[in-house]
Amino acid sequence: MTPGRVRRGCAALALLAAGVVAGPALAAAGGAAGRAALVDLSPDERAAILRHGPWPPPPVADAGNAVSGRPAAIALGRQLFFDGRLSPTGAVACASCHVPGLAFADRRARSAGLQELDRNAPSLWNSAQQRWQGWDGAADSLWSQAIRPLLDPREMGGSAEHVRSLLAADAELACRYRRSFGREASEVDAQTALVDAAKAIGAFVATLVSARTPFDEFRDALARGDARAAARYPAAARRGLRLFVGRGNCALCHAGARFSNGEFADIGVPFFVRPGVVDPGRHGGIEALLASPYNRLSRWADAADATPTRHVALQPRNFGEFKVPSLRHVADTAPYMHDGQLRTLQNVVRHYSDLDEERLHADGERVLVPLRLSAAEQADLLAFLRTLSPQGGAAWRAPPLARCR
Amino acid sequence: MTRAAGWPPIGARVLAGLLALGPAAAAAQAAAGDCAQALGGPAREVAGEGLVVAWRAVPHPLPLDRPVVLELRVCGRPADALRVDADMPAHRHGMNYRPTVENLGNGRHVARGLLFHMAGRWRLIFDIDTGGRRLRLTDELELR
Repeated sequence: MTPGRVRRGCAALALLAAGVVAGPALAAAGGAAGRAALVDLSPDERAAILRHGPWPPPPVADAGNAVSGRPAAIALGRQLFFDGRLSPTGAVACASCHVPGLAFADRRARSAGLQELDRNAPSLWNSAQQRWQGWDGAADSLWSQAIRPLLDPREMGGSAEHVRSLLAADAELACRYRRSFGREASEVDAQTALVDAAKAIGAFVATLVSARTPFDEFRDALARGDARAAARYPAAARRGLRLFVGRGNCALCHAGARFSNGEFADIGVPFFVRPGVVDPGRHGGIEALLASPYNRLSRWADAADATPTRHVALQPRNFGEFKVPSLRHVADTAPYMHDGQLRTLQNVVRHYSDLDEERLHADGERVLVPLRLSAAEQADLLAFLRTLSPQGGAAWRAPPLARCR
Repeated sequence: MTRAAGWPPIGARVLAGLLALGPAAAAAQAAAGDCAQALGGPAREVAGEGLVVAWRAVPHPLPLDRPVVLELRVCGRPADALRVDADMPAHRHGMNYRPTVENLGNGRHVARGLLFHMAGRWRLIFDIDTGGRRLRLTDELELR
């Protein structure tokens, strides 16, 4: 959770006042047990809960990527995503750090490509729904994000020429490239091949939309006044949800259906990479974004709304800010924070409960205050967070990939 | 003074201008109301110190977490320059984006690049350069 930082205390305490009836339509909708699931929600709580849906959202294309949504490009991108040959060593693929069975993350505190890195791999679920990619938002599209690890010597250590050669030499990839872009990989220059490969990967990643969760079932039951269905949501999770939208003020940053406002915050976690070296977080991300030859303002971007990139403001407070992560699948993506410094979800809840205000920037916003949660409240919050994963785990079901002809 | 057409009744407040423009006040009174009306649609306006700024958001109602365009009209005096910004005073931070304003002539302007990334009380800030002076008008909004 990453509520920002305004010192206005626990503004939503009033929401926790019990006994506010949600409305006669709801009360009439189910039996006594069902009613209990709904009638203790105030209108404000109900409205706050409804704002976290519906799910899934309408599909979103990768920004500035003309082949996003096209089946041929999605198939090419999927094949490339799992292909270790994109790294000259043949040993590192996108899927090495973004493992489908691990919610497209890798459960490492700091991920490792050819070398160990400074941050952990964020989950790729629902990443097309994000305005910014990466912990520092250094990329403004999925395809431009894909280029960085391809070229970074610590990650895949590839080159544009290496990508072009692979696309041209492998018959299956060459066929998929031709179907996706209407030309031969052997006939384009290396930069074009690199960008095209990245756009195909972006098209694939844009298809990764996570499944519905127990929370979504509760939220939709609430929306239609179905007390009986709402009663299936565990009582502990419901108490945790009320904390989340109420006293915890978590929904301030973890907003909307993705449980993230898509922006960045300093939540008081240390950001030393190693003694004497700091991770600049969003500040470095904005600098890298604006310097990138592959951003939405670049000649490589297909028609796209570049408004956020054009107007993003570099500010001193961006130092030490990191992406507010989506909480969908949060129980499947330990360890937590940009460098995995919090090993369990329980550690995260405890972080907000015992927050060290001294670590927060003095000139920053002051939403964050220690929540001082009891052990029972911490357990409730955890119960709620676990309902943000689909039942049955984090599996990705891959449809068969037909051979390209 | 704040007027709204097509907006829900929400608390709004205009802060005083930095410099008085006394003689223009009567003209501004006449322009108030007309200024928002000329924009059409669900426009709001703020007035003070002889100036009126009317604005409307595209899309409307003002969304969270999405880029917003403001169509603006300055009435009462010609504006040599207009700057638009927004902040959350209680949070002690502004937007993460820096809007630009284009002067379309005849008192009309368009501001691009605003993005309200958090629910709560926001303050829209209009800085108007007119006749060698700078005036600030503000409008407050509660976004959910």
